[in-house]
Amino acid sequence: MSRTFKLLTLLMVLAMVLAACPASAPAAPAAEAPAAADATAAPEPEAPAASEDVITLEFWHAMSGNLNELVDELTARFNESQDGIVVNATFQGSYDDNYNALLASFETGGEPNIIQNFDIASQTMFDTGRLLPAYEMGDLEGFDFDIFVPAVRDFYSDENGMVAMAFNSSTPILYYNVDMFAAAGVEMPEGSMNFTEFRALCDEIMAADVAPYCFTFGQVGWYFEQILANSGGLYFNENNGRTGRATEAVFNSEKGVEVFTFLTDLIKDGYAPNLSSTWTETDSTFQTQQAAFMIDSTSDVSIIQNSEFAVKTAFIPHADSSDRNGVVIGGAALWLIDSGDAAINQASWDFMKFMAQPEQQITWHTGSGYFPVRTDLADNPELQAFWAENPNFVTAIEQLGTTKTMLDDGNVNYAVLGGRAGPFPAIRQIVVQAYSRVLDDGLSAQEALDEAVEKANEELSNYNSFFQ
Amino acid sequence: MNQAVSTSISQPTPAQRAALARRRTLWRAIEGYLYLAPTLIGLAVFVFWPIVESFKLSLNRIAPFGNQQIFVGLGNYTRLLTSSDYWNSVRVTLLFVLGTVPTGIILSVLLAILLAYPLGKMASVHRTLIFVPVVISSAVAGVLFRWLYHPVVGYINYWLVSLGLFDSMGDAPNWLASTQWALFAVIVATTWRQLGFNVIIALAGVQNIDSSFYDAAKVDGANAWQRIRHVTLPLLSPTLFFLFIINVIYSFQAFGEIHILTAGGPGQATTTMVYSIFYDAFVGTPQRGIASAQAYMLALMVVFMSFVQFAGINRRVHYQ
Repeated sequence: MSRTFKLLTLLMVLAMVLAACPASAPAAPAAEAPAAADATAAPEPEAPAASEDVITLEFWHAMSGNLNELVDELTARFNESQDGIVVNATFQGSYDDNYNALLASFETGGEPNIIQNFDIASQTMFDTGRLLPAYEMGDLEGFDFDIFVPAVRDFYSDENGMVAMAFNSSTPILYYNVDMFAAAGVEMPEGSMNFTEFRALCDEIMAADVAPYCFTFGQVGWYFEQILANSGGLYFNENNGRTGRATEAVFNSEKGVEVFTFLTDLIKDGYAPNLSSTWTETDSTFQTQQAAFMIDSTSDVSIIQNSEFAVKTAFIPHADSSDRNGVVIGGAALWLIDSGDAAINQASWDFMKFMAQPEQQITWHTGSGYFPVRTDLADNPELQAFWAENPNFVTAIEQLGTTKTMLDDGNVNYAVLGGRAGPFPAIRQIVVQAYSRVLDDGLSAQEALDEAVEKANEELSNYNSFFQ
Repeated sequence: MNQAVSTSISQPTPAQRAALARRRTLWRAIEGYLYLAPTLIGLAVFVFWPIVESFKLSLNRIAPFGNQQIFVGLGNYTRLLTSSDYWNSVRVTLLFVLGTVPTGIILSVLLAILLAYPLGKMASVHRTLIFVPVVISSAVAGVLFRWLYHPVVGYINYWLVSLGLFDSMGDAPNWLASTQWALFAVIVATTWRQLGFNVIIALAGVQNIDSSFYDAAKVDGANAWQRIRHVTLPLLSPTLFFLFIINVIYSFQAFGEIHILTAGGPGQATTTMVYSIFYDAFVGTPQRGIASAQAYMLALMVVFMSFVQFAGINRRVHYQ
């Protein structure tokens, strides 16, 4: 009994330790699993012998819930529109998951033909060397990239033109509870508030005691980036990494500290609850009427405006020390992964063009809140009628449309072009941790950002060392 | 050929018989390995090969898309040992293990002793209720607890305020968003979900104890507590030892609850070693080399702990 039991226990330990290793240890093999599964599941292009002309494409995206259904609808529409190409759309999880699945698939094979990749992954996408820039495909057939909203076009461009196909673009906006504002006797000002006006508004709402909190926001990196850009502050050196490879983060500037102080003080002073890093708890706080307004992506308009109370939308705030600059394009774009086969690349390109066509963009915009990426939709009668009924969808379009892309001195306003750096996804996470350094560990905003910049610079030099 | 046939028909010589026996033993050995082959091949492909591969990864700095590796020898390991973030993850892991393992085992033994005395037909209902959390996936449990812990609309703080312990929701602890409480909150959620499994094992152990021991103790005049202290616990020690080892390893590897509840935050307050591996390998910009090095450090630590456990505690375990 004794010996058997010892032996069994020892075996169990060994089994668990060993089992632990593949689960947690070798990062790469674990990541291979989904990619490899996809590769085997995907029917080979030449598999259906009867119709040898059919090309099957793999399209990976990161749209969940109602957005996932929309993507499936658009993909089905494409598949029905012609006979030669079948697109398989696969939901891969969050933007981060999708991005990491792609990077893993480059190591193991089984990469998709088209991938929806988020804003801040741009530099890495260039660096993979596996990308087929959109301008190369477009130039072959004289595709006109000027149909896209300039801010979107510029965001996804390098010196040769657009590298990715615009698809789902978003910006953050303020959502406010109209009933609560009326009860408190306050009005949301037109345009963008500065920090002082913002706090004054909150003082009135708190004094009226209509809700436990005035405002609510998740401590994600995106809002800091956006409000910093709106205040004209840069994130990286080399003009936000737009005129050269970024080597240093610069968001611990005076402007950055002003923005970060504002955000952390909202929590410290009791205007906003401390919800840590989240995209969902803010919605539950706002929709259960525990806070009078919040900041969230425009991509959720269609859901949030269906709250039990009236909801309106407004521009995000900016620093006292500067005028409003505008917002950086968020969301994601479609990237073409070079398959090495001209016919397949052409098919992928056809699908990307299809997704940017007016009909698809209208379905997409009205179903989600991501704004239409085409300029020619501004006076589309169908959308005009929709906007008249749903003014909340217009805020994001106007917020972007009035973004100051040129400075008064005639130079490009790099702040609103947004940062571009290889390890941006990791740096965003570092900023998330800076919140806790202020709120829990009592550091000043300056100290927390200095520390974050130091870590960010380490990430940058580590990443850049592969490209020298 | 003919000759061979004729000899095999005739009576075998002793030498032939020995050869036959040798062949049979040889075949038996091969046969054994053939039965093992499916498992061995599976282990080789999915366990042993990745173990070797990840060791190679741990000696390199790897570009995010793997097309470039820079050999750094033990550089990743020295970088870890000099990083305050790494030591923080070690500290958090040890606190997490200390928080989950003893409480989990004590609670499960108490519950097992209670459940061992069945209250008529309710016994199976009680056992089912306690086992249910095990069946729930850690992700679902995480989402449930996120709601319970919500600082503004969560039930836990609502109850605490209703009970008059706090004046308002704002005064009650911010379970997941403050570094002070986050680890505790995660420990509670993990212990809750793991409890059912522990109780089942402990219950089997308790029920395995022969009633003659209790009868003998009763004859000697032992009261209920003395029977638990001097009969149940010693005879339960092999089970406790098993639970202890399983729980320590499980806690070292806990991931689901942490990922859903706090994602390692706020700051790095709940970043355990396993979470840090995941974070470096899959979040933000992947750094597979340093993540693999951390995985090796963790594996070493778990193996070391297991040896300590066997050497140190095994002597006190009383086998029946």
